[in-house]
Amino acid sequence: MTLLEENAILVSVRDLRKHYADIEALRGISFDILKGEVFGLLGPNGAGKTTTIEIIEGLRQADSGSVSVCSLDPASQSAALKERIGAQLQSTVLHDKMRVDEALNLFASFYRHSVSVPLLLEHFGLVEKRHAFFEHLSGGQKQRLALALALVNDPELVLLDEPTVGLDPQLRRDIYALVEHFREEGRTVLLTTHYIEEAERLCDRVAIMDRGRLVALGTPRELIAISGQRTRIEVRLAKPAAIDHLKLVEGVIDCHEAENVYVLHVQSAATAISPLIRYLESEGNIMVDLHIAQPSLEDVFLEMTGRRLED
Amino acid sequence: MPTLRIALMTIRLVMRSKIALFFTFFFPLVFLFVYAVLFARGNPEVVAYMFGPVVTLNIMGSGFWGLGMQSVMQRERGSLRRYRLAPIGPGTILASNLLANYLLELPTISLLLFSSLVFFHMPMRMGLSTLLILVTVGTFAFAGFGLTISSVANTMQEAQIYNNLVWITLLFLSGVTIPLPMLPGWIQRLAMFFPSTYLVSVFQASMLQTEPILSHWREMLVLIASGAFGLLFAMRLFRWEKEERISTRARLWAAGFVLPFLIMGTWMNTRANPTAGWGRSYGFLEQPSNSPLNPAEEPISIENFDGLQASSDLLSRWKITTNSGATGQSMAETSLLTPGADGTPHAMRLQGRLAPTLRNTGYVSAQYQVRVPPDPRELHGIEFQVRGKPCIDQVSFHPAGATVSSTPAISFVPGDSWQEVKLPISWLAGTSKNGPANGLWVLEILVNQPGDFTLDVDEIRYF
Repeated sequence: MTLLEENAILVSVRDLRKHYADIEALRGISFDILKGEVFGLLGPNGAGKTTTIEIIEGLRQADSGSVSVCSLDPASQSAALKERIGAQLQSTVLHDKMRVDEALNLFASFYRHSVSVPLLLEHFGLVEKRHAFFEHLSGGQKQRLALALALVNDPELVLLDEPTVGLDPQLRRDIYALVEHFREEGRTVLLTTHYIEEAERLCDRVAIMDRGRLVALGTPRELIAISGQRTRIEVRLAKPAAIDHLKLVEGVIDCHEAENVYVLHVQSAATAISPLIRYLESEGNIMVDLHIAQPSLEDVFLEMTGRRLED
Repeated sequence: MPTLRIALMTIRLVMRSKIALFFTFFFPLVFLFVYAVLFARGNPEVVAYMFGPVVTLNIMGSGFWGLGMQSVMQRERGSLRRYRLAPIGPGTILASNLLANYLLELPTISLLLFSSLVFFHMPMRMGLSTLLILVTVGTFAFAGFGLTISSVANTMQEAQIYNNLVWITLLFLSGVTIPLPMLPGWIQRLAMFFPSTYLVSVFQASMLQTEPILSHWREMLVLIASGAFGLLFAMRLFRWEKEERISTRARLWAAGFVLPFLIMGTWMNTRANPTAGWGRSYGFLEQPSNSPLNPAEEPISIENFDGLQASSDLLSRWKITTNSGATGQSMAETSLLTPGADGTPHAMRLQGRLAPTLRNTGYVSAQYQVRVPPDPRELHGIEFQVRGKPCIDQVSFHPAGATVSSTPAISFVPGDSWQEVKLPISWLAGTSKNGPANGLWVLEILVNQPGDFTLDVDEIRYF
C-alpha cells in the first residue's frame, strides 16, 4: 500500500472477531474504507453486517482484532469519534411526542459543531413536518429524520445500517438519491444492505459477507469479473436432462442444476439458444420456462457461498 | 449542557402526555384531599400531621413509578439507542432524568402546600427552606430506589414486580399511610429499617415539634446515601439496550443498596429511641394546640337559634330561594327544631323537595347575612353543626350582593347524627382579591341534589 493510499484510508478493520454466546458473529474480517467512497457491506441476515457497523460506531466491543476510524479507536475514544461520525440505526425510535425540529435541535446541541436545523429540514424534505410528533410520521419520514439526525453534526463518515429496509420502492429511490448526494458532497459512507440493487447502484466498493466471514471485496464490476461470471441461461424443462449432455451443447461453457432449474453459463445467449433448442428437440424434451440473466453480485454471492442472498 | 437540555425536553414531553400530567400534578392532590377530608376531617392540626406523609408518598411515587419506570421504558422502547450514538454517556442520561424528576417535583409540592394552607388552613410551622431541603433530599433518596430497580430489572414487567414489592411495604409500614404509633411494636421496629420512615418522621418533627433539621442529621445522611448508592449502581449497571441482560452477579452486587438502611435500622433499634419522637408528633393531635396561629379565645357565635320563639321568626333572618329550572317545581320551608345540637334549645330545619331538571341546575339556597368582626385576623373560618338526609350539600361564604361567588365552596354530606362542618376561610386573616374581609357577608347553604331533602343546622360560629 502506498503512502498516498494509507492517507486516504478513513476506516481500517483488521481481523475482527466477535461472538455472542455460542454464535460466532464475526470470524476475522479485514477491510479498509477510503475517504470519499461509498462502501457497502452486502450479505444476508445474520452475516455479521450490523455487528461490524456497530463495532465501527463504538456501540459494541470486538473480542479481538483492531479497528481504526478517522484515526481513532472506537472502543477507547468513543466520545471523540462520535463528534466525527454520523450514524443511522436499523430502526430509530424517539419519544412519540417529540417533534421533528425538537429532535434535530436537541441532538444538534450535543455536538461541538452542528449543521443548521432549518437546512437539514429542507434538505431531507421535512419542512412541512417540522412540528409533527414522531408518532405521526410515516415510515419514510421517520427514515428521513433518522438520516437527518445522522447528518446533524456534519460528519466525515456516515454509517447507514440497512437504510431502506421496509420501505416501498419510491421511498427507497428517495434514500438512494440522498446517499448519492452524500457522495457528491465528498462524504465517506459505509452502508449495510442485503439488497443487490442497492449495493450495485450506490456502492463504489462492496464487501460481501456471509456467516461472519468476508467472502469477496471489490467494486461491483471487479467482483463480477473476478468471479468469472458469464451470461446465464436458466431453463426449466418438462423432463429431466443429463447435465453432462447439456455441457456438450454448442456455446455452453458450464452447466449445473439448482432447485430444478438448469443453469447454463454461456459466452453469448444469442449463439447458444438455437443449439440448445435443437438438442432438447432431439431428446424429446421441451422448455417450460426460460430466463436469460446478465451476471450480478447475486451470482458472485451464489458462487462464493453456494447459496442465494435471500436464503 | 446536554443534561439540562435533555431534562427540559423530558419535562416538555411530560407536559404533552395527559396521563403523565394526571399522575404528576393531579393525583397527589387527590391524595391530599383524601387524607385531609377523610382522615383529618379538615382539622388543620391533623392536616399538618398528614402533610409529611402526603409529600413522602408523592416523592416515593415519582421515584418508583416516574423515574424508575421511565428509565426501563426508554430502554425497552429503544429510544436510548439514538442517544448512544451521540457524544454523551450514561451519566448525562441519568443526571438529566434525575434533574427532570426533581424539577417536576417542585411545582407538585408547591401545589400540595398551597392547597393545604388555603383549603385546610394548615399551620405552617416549618420554614420553606427546611421544606425545600427535605423535598430535595427525599427526591434524591427515592430516585436512588427507582434507579436501582430500573438497573436490575430486565423488563417493564420485572420492574413493576420489584416496584410493587418495595412500594407496598414502604407504603403501609413506614408511617406513610398509617401513623406509626398506631402500629404494633414489632412493626415499629421493622419500620426503622425503611427510608420512608425517616423522611416522614423528620417531616413531622419539623412541622409539629419545630425541631431543627440538623437534629436529624443521621436520617438525612442515610437518605442522601440512598440516592448516592442508587446513582452509583445505575451508573455501573447502565444498559442502553433491552437485549443487554443483567447478570445474577450484578444483581447481587446491587443488593448492596440496602446496606445504609440496615446500618441505620440496626442503630435505631439498639441505640436510638425514635418511637418517642413519633409519639410526640402523634400526641400533638390529641393536645390542645399551642399554635400561635390558633386563637386562644372561645369561638364567636354567629347564630344558635336559641333566642327564637317561633318558626316564623326564622324568615326574618334567613332568606330561602329556589331555582328549579324550567321543567319542575321545587319547594322549601324552614322550621324551628327542639332540641338542637348538643341538647341546646333550638336548631333550624330546612326541608322540602328539589325538582329534577334537565341539567340538574336547580337548587334551594338558605342565606344568612353575617357581619365580619372588625379584627378577623385570628379567625380561621366558620363552623356549624348539621344532620339530615344524606345528600351532597354545599356551603360558601361571600360578600353580600355578589351575584357569583369567587370564593371557594365546600361540599358535605349530613348523616343521622349531628356533625361539624368547617369552612376554612384563609382570607379572613387578611385582604385578598375578594376585597377587605369586613362589612356584610353571606353564609350560603346550598342544596342541589334533586329529590326530598331534610337538613338541620345549628351552632353557627367563627373558629
